Amino acid sequence: MNAFFLSLAVILCGGVLPLFIHRQFNMMKAACFALVAAGCALGLFDTLSALLHPGVAATVSWPWLHIFALSFKMDSISAFFLIPIFLISPLAILYSLHYMEKPEHSLRTATNYFFNAVLIVSMALVACADNIPTFALAWEIMSVSSYFLVVYDFQDKDTRKAGYLYFIFAQGGAMFLFAAFAVIYRYTGNFAFIDLATLPETAKLIVFILAFIGFGSKAGIFPLHIWLPYAHPAAPSHISAVMSGVMIKMGIYGIVRIYELLGTPSLLFSQIVLVAGMITGVLGVVYALGKQDVKKLLAYSSVENIGIILIGLGIGMTGVATNTAAMAFCGFAGAFMHVFNHSIFKSLLFMGAGAILHKTKIRSIEQLGGLIKRMPITGRSFLVGSLAISGLPPFSGFIGEFLIYYGSFQGLHLTRASFILTAMAIVSLAVIGGLATACFTKVVGLAFLGEPRSAGAAQATEAGFTMQLTMVSLACACLLIGVLPAPFVRLAFKGIGDLQLVGGYAPDTFIEVLDNISKAAGLFLLLVLAISALRTLLSHAVYRHLLCRFHG
Amino acid sequence: MESIVSFCFALLAAPLLAAVIMKVKAYVAGKQGPPLFIKYYTLAKLFRKGSVYSNSTSFVFKLGPVISCCSAIMVLLFFPFAGVAPVFSFHGDVIILFYLLGLGRFFTILAALDTASPFEGMGAAREAYFSTLAEATIFVVLALFFRLTGSLSFAGYFTGTAVINLWNPPAGSLLLLVVVAMFMVLLTENSRVPVDDPATHLELTMIHEVMILDHSGPDLALIELGAYLKLFFYSAFITRLLYPFQLENVYQNGIIFYGIVCLIYVAVGITESIMARYRMHLVPKFILTSFALVFFATILTMEIVR
Repeated sequence: MNAFFLSLAVILCGGVLPLFIHRQFNMMKAACFALVAAGCALGLFDTLSALLHPGVAATVSWPWLHIFALSFKMDSISAFFLIPIFLISPLAILYSLHYMEKPEHSLRTATNYFFNAVLIVSMALVACADNIPTFALAWEIMSVSSYFLVVYDFQDKDTRKAGYLYFIFAQGGAMFLFAAFAVIYRYTGNFAFIDLATLPETAKLIVFILAFIGFGSKAGIFPLHIWLPYAHPAAPSHISAVMSGVMIKMGIYGIVRIYELLGTPSLLFSQIVLVAGMITGVLGVVYALGKQDVKKLLAYSSVENIGIILIGLGIGMTGVATNTAAMAFCGFAGAFMHVFNHSIFKSLLFMGAGAILHKTKIRSIEQLGGLIKRMPITGRSFLVGSLAISGLPPFSGFIGEFLIYYGSFQGLHLTRASFILTAMAIVSLAVIGGLATACFTKVVGLAFLGEPRSAGAAQATEAGFTMQLTMVSLACACLLIGVLPAPFVRLAFKGIGDLQLVGGYAPDTFIEVLDNISKAAGLFLLLVLAISALRTLLSHAVYRHLLCRFHG
Repeated sequence: MESIVSFCFALLAAPLLAAVIMKVKAYVAGKQGPPLFIKYYTLAKLFRKGSVYSNSTSFVFKLGPVISCCSAIMVLLFFPFAGVAPVFSFHGDVIILFYLLGLGRFFTILAALDTASPFEGMGAAREAYFSTLAEATIFVVLALFFRLTGSLSFAGYFTGTAVINLWNPPAGSLLLLVVVAMFMVLLTENSRVPVDDPATHLELTMIHEVMILDHSGPDLALIELGAYLKLFFYSAFITRLLYPFQLENVYQNGIIFYGIVCLIYVAVGITESIMARYRMHLVPKFILTSFALVFFATILTMEIVR
């Protein structure tokens, strides 16, 4: 794990350096980006090699304050959740190079970069923490640093209020986590995570529910989602991208981790998660439909996607509890895949929203319109992101949802409550998909298409170069994962390797299905190209014909 | 080879069958009606024209018709007509196909919003709402079929050994509910009476028609073709439910299959003739009724399928 800690040190340097050289505004940004990108590249390399060559999970432990130990462990679950952290964070900083362009606020910008680096490091530490004090410490640093990122624009009253709300929810959630840790300590008498499996059944249930509430307030599970639609619009857009794309996934990571540590496949856990997922998903998208503020809408859509991920986890847990191997594999892999995909397309969408806000200063989509002609690159990337988040093939969002559907269908032979819940999960996924389509056609249609409905929208210009570059690369990733999903799903299968699932399911049978999906996606793209080509040829022929008739 | 011929035949037959509805409606109204080949003439006429684009539109407006037509063609490529194996098929294809239809809808809605016309926006909102409800019904049907056959592809439902069979008690009796529900979904997804009136004259009351008002020439032709193919797909789906049998002779199969498809088109025509369209607020109830029917059928399988 030495490379991992080295990468974190480099990232932290990238955060500290701007504080000293903030007077050279452009140099500060470039230096920060270079260091963070180098650190993240190193971290990503280390993580991927840990994921692709699974062996004994690497562990490190240092004594701290004489009574505690700081111990870290990188198993496949940690490694998988580290990928979005190391992938999205440097892109967000690249985006910010053109987004943060107020040299008169150089110290404030430098502070923002500092806390951004602290957030990246603390998220990485959360994903690797291996005992209670380490986890609690990393979790708190993560919450506090993201609080400072949210209140970047502290002179604005609404921003301060949003930051306050976020702080309450972060600390309230942490309170539930500490309660869960207290229950654990009461039974095990030490701080190690490994002993959680020895708890008695009732204690396990209490720990799981407390932790679920605590992690849920970070992830944005309904009704603990209230801070999201305030904090995301208040934060600068590249921060919203990281918070919504990556940080709230730490809540999901916590739920997966506590489930893995408790090690009991009880059906009750899966039912709690599944029901919470269905409620969160459907209500999230329903609330999103009613919002006019682009960033508020995206925040609610994050709630919806957390719901989809929870449905995936719930399906996987049901599979484990009922000994259905295919269901367990596809449910968990689908949830992991959706974590990865959502980090990509949600940060893309937040960056698109940021570009609109930056150029037009308008938040309400009702006053926008016609932007695709004035911001062609932003508009096209945003369109791709919307297609991906609506879960439509051939884009990345479909792959995660397909895995979850596939897992749910495998659970249809179950009986009683499990069967009803599985069928309900399929229906909720279908409804969520349909409503997400409605929601994002509204955003794209009103903001980017048609005619501008305000002076700000009419005078918009294309976003800066690094902003375009980031959005285009994320959009390409959405299409790539949608057309060639197999290597990415393999990664998700590796990621769930250290969860104790039911044996007897060969992921290769599923990879075959994925190959067919990429063939179908390719076939569809070919068909679209062919029909468009025919359409163009035809209109040329008709045009020439009409021209001849007109002159003749 | 047989599959490709069957697919091409379906492509060619779809416009003819769409004219059957018009003919039936005309007959019930005591008129002679247009010739049976009217839809081919319409397509040929539209393809020979040029397109007109308003200054408000962007590339999305031109992409909409192409994608909605392609998604309908894709579905037909995976569907086994008359028991002939489809051109392509794999386990799980139904999910991607219904989502591709969703993609077609996504672009139709965007193309409508691209015209900057408030009428089209209204139609788009209705279409998005109603088709979401219909999607729920469709996925419950898929869940029910998976429970009955353990398969996730059209080829698995309608060909092979574990075929969906209406005439096979006791599970078959549940399929009666599915047939009724799928007929309701057919009416919804293809904008027929009582959900939407394809022949209405006022933009305020339209759903699908208002979304394509600004399309012209080949663009409109592609949209129309896509609509015929989609209608044909849903009718073929119900046909295979009603008549799951397989004869030795390919031609006999084909004749019976297309005969029943024709009957379904006639049923659509009769429905349109004897019913008025619902007021807007009754439409969701209509679609949710189909959902209730299939969900009920799915719950009943808990006792029947062990």
